[in-house]
Amino acid sequence: MSAVGDTNAARSAPAIRRPVPFRAQIGGLSRIAILLLLVLTAQLVTPSFLAPANLQVILMAVAAIGVMAIGMTLVVIAGEIDLSIAGVAILACVLGGILIPTGSPVLVIGVTLLTGLVLGLINGILVAGLRIPSLIATLGMLGIARALANIASGGQALYPESIGPYVWLGRGTLLGLPVPVLILLALTILAIALTRFSIFGQALYATGGNVKAARLSGINVAAVRIAVFMLCGFCAALAGMLDSARLSYINPSGFEGIELSVLAVTVLGGAALSGGKGTIIGTLVAALIIGVVNNLLNQLGVSIYLQQVAIAAVILAVVLPDALKRESGK
Amino acid sequence: MSDAALKTSSAGFPSLVTVLRAEPLLWLIAAIIVTGAITSEYYLTGQNIENLLRSVSVFGLLALGMTVVMLTGRIDLSVAATMIFSIVVAVKVMVLLGDGLGLRWLVKGNTYAGPSMPFLAIAIVTGCAVGALNGIGIAYFRIAPFIMTLVSLTALRGFNYVLTDGHPYYLRSPVFAFVGDQVVLGIPFSTLVFLAVLVALILFVNGTVAGSRFYAIGGSERAALYAGVRTERFVVLAYMISGFCAALAGILFTARLKSVDAPLASGYELTAIAIAVIGGTALSGGVGSPWRTLLGSLVFASGLNLLAIWGIGTWYQNLIVGTVLIAAVALSRIGRPRASS
Repeated sequence: MSAVGDTNAARSAPAIRRPVPFRAQIGGLSRIAILLLLVLTAQLVTPSFLAPANLQVILMAVAAIGVMAIGMTLVVIAGEIDLSIAGVAILACVLGGILIPTGSPVLVIGVTLLTGLVLGLINGILVAGLRIPSLIATLGMLGIARALANIASGGQALYPESIGPYVWLGRGTLLGLPVPVLILLALTILAIALTRFSIFGQALYATGGNVKAARLSGINVAAVRIAVFMLCGFCAALAGMLDSARLSYINPSGFEGIELSVLAVTVLGGAALSGGKGTIIGTLVAALIIGVVNNLLNQLGVSIYLQQVAIAAVILAVVLPDALKRESGK
Repeated sequence: MSDAALKTSSAGFPSLVTVLRAEPLLWLIAAIIVTGAITSEYYLTGQNIENLLRSVSVFGLLALGMTVVMLTGRIDLSVAATMIFSIVVAVKVMVLLGDGLGLRWLVKGNTYAGPSMPFLAIAIVTGCAVGALNGIGIAYFRIAPFIMTLVSLTALRGFNYVLTDGHPYYLRSPVFAFVGDQVVLGIPFSTLVFLAVLVALILFVNGTVAGSRFYAIGGSERAALYAGVRTERFVVLAYMISGFCAALAGILFTARLKSVDAPLASGYELTAIAIAVIGGTALSGGVGSPWRTLLGSLVFASGLNLLAIWGIGTWYQNLIVGTVLIAAVALSRIGRPRASS
């Protein structure tokens, strides 16, 4: 992964790696501070910012990309990358959507999520089994899955509104909160439990941090890699379903370029593309930062394209101090 | 992965093994062309070969720049955005000059009709400047290459829309017509430009000491640094070459279309990476060459062209491209010593 990871780190490599959780916590705290600062600014600029209706808008906008980013974070911690999420999301939704005429929610939702898992499994086998760099394997998968989605649907959109539970996933509310937001929360808690408090989590950070050491200490590196790609595929399919359900519209050419936005969120959250570093909390906070910035700029009437530039600036502003810190610590 | 790169790239020049690995591509190109000639009476017509060569030129230029960056073990995701950005900036600068100097005839409405040479110069300088910014961020500020160029990609795409207001600009001038459409001795002019850059890069990268630094940095950055190579400068240079190639590709591309529009060329960065990788360039750095990137772009363009001639739909084409990309890399891995990662 060194092509996409920071090759610069190689120069300071002989230095002892500090324990991951501590540094990650510091990074997480500074990001939370940035988020709070942004929220404060937003509230001062637009008094209606903290209104419950607007907070709900922000959370809904963040839900799908947040779910995808959680899957991506797991992959990135393992030292890999997944560029195929848009293709996986679309193909999963289309294959599930083809079963809409059966009228069975279990079948539609089940096939959607299962497709995500299977495509993730294929990614994992290509990377861990055939030793294809994940950038290439998932780039190929992106093209293949997008193509299959369009071939399977004939390029036509599918409409899931006849499947009640499916639409509920995107538009329903539970305990006064939108279902997509609850799903994001539940997934966040599960992912935190997985990364921080399970043996799998230790194996995950070990694999991403130092493959050789992980292998020598008896960790099944291939299994870890396959598992993270499967989880990422599952998250991509789930996020695709949340968005399709919200819009009641399965678009076989949707999610164009989402992989780069999701990667941006992941990196903003403190995950390093060289592996072994990153937290779920950091990613969630990063998704919220992007959501708040977008919402604020929307309220100020800034064009969507200038927002893109602003997001780029935010990423640079958050990443630069980290990079410079690494430099001075050399 | 980096350990594998160390083993296969001890020297600055392609070893026998890597040259042999390039050979199948020649066979593949021959097979595609023969198949095309047999199955379609249109494949070897002058018009089709011209189209093929034009698409080789644009994608080939992007892939050449990408190859130099990848040799250093880095990546440039911003090439497609830079390609359009450099043209958009050139148009915008000329519009501002036109307004400032009262030369309204330079740009009428959305049609650029001014002199071409300053326009082309601004585009090239813009491309190099974007590359320099990427390189400085990566080499001196130690931002991960993937992130730095992802930021450039996002920001430049945004700027492209903001600067053009989402409207296309039309380019009308004899020079654009010449660059885009002229055929010299049976070869499109744009292909001659591509070949000139290719030869220059082969001479520089594979024929000079300075060029061999790219391989050294990609092979082992620390070793290069300890050997006295000013690695930062060469990283910036690699990104500037990539930016230059992107701007040139933008000129060839828009001169053919006679227009520039913000959403053009989206996703081309992934095609450029795919071509470089098909040509045998290693993502981990230190392995690859401009010459083999040429082979990669020929395989890519002639294969796609053949599928189009057969009337195979775009989606099936994408399906085949994705499969070929994975298969090509999987095949190149077979028989190599098992990497540690």
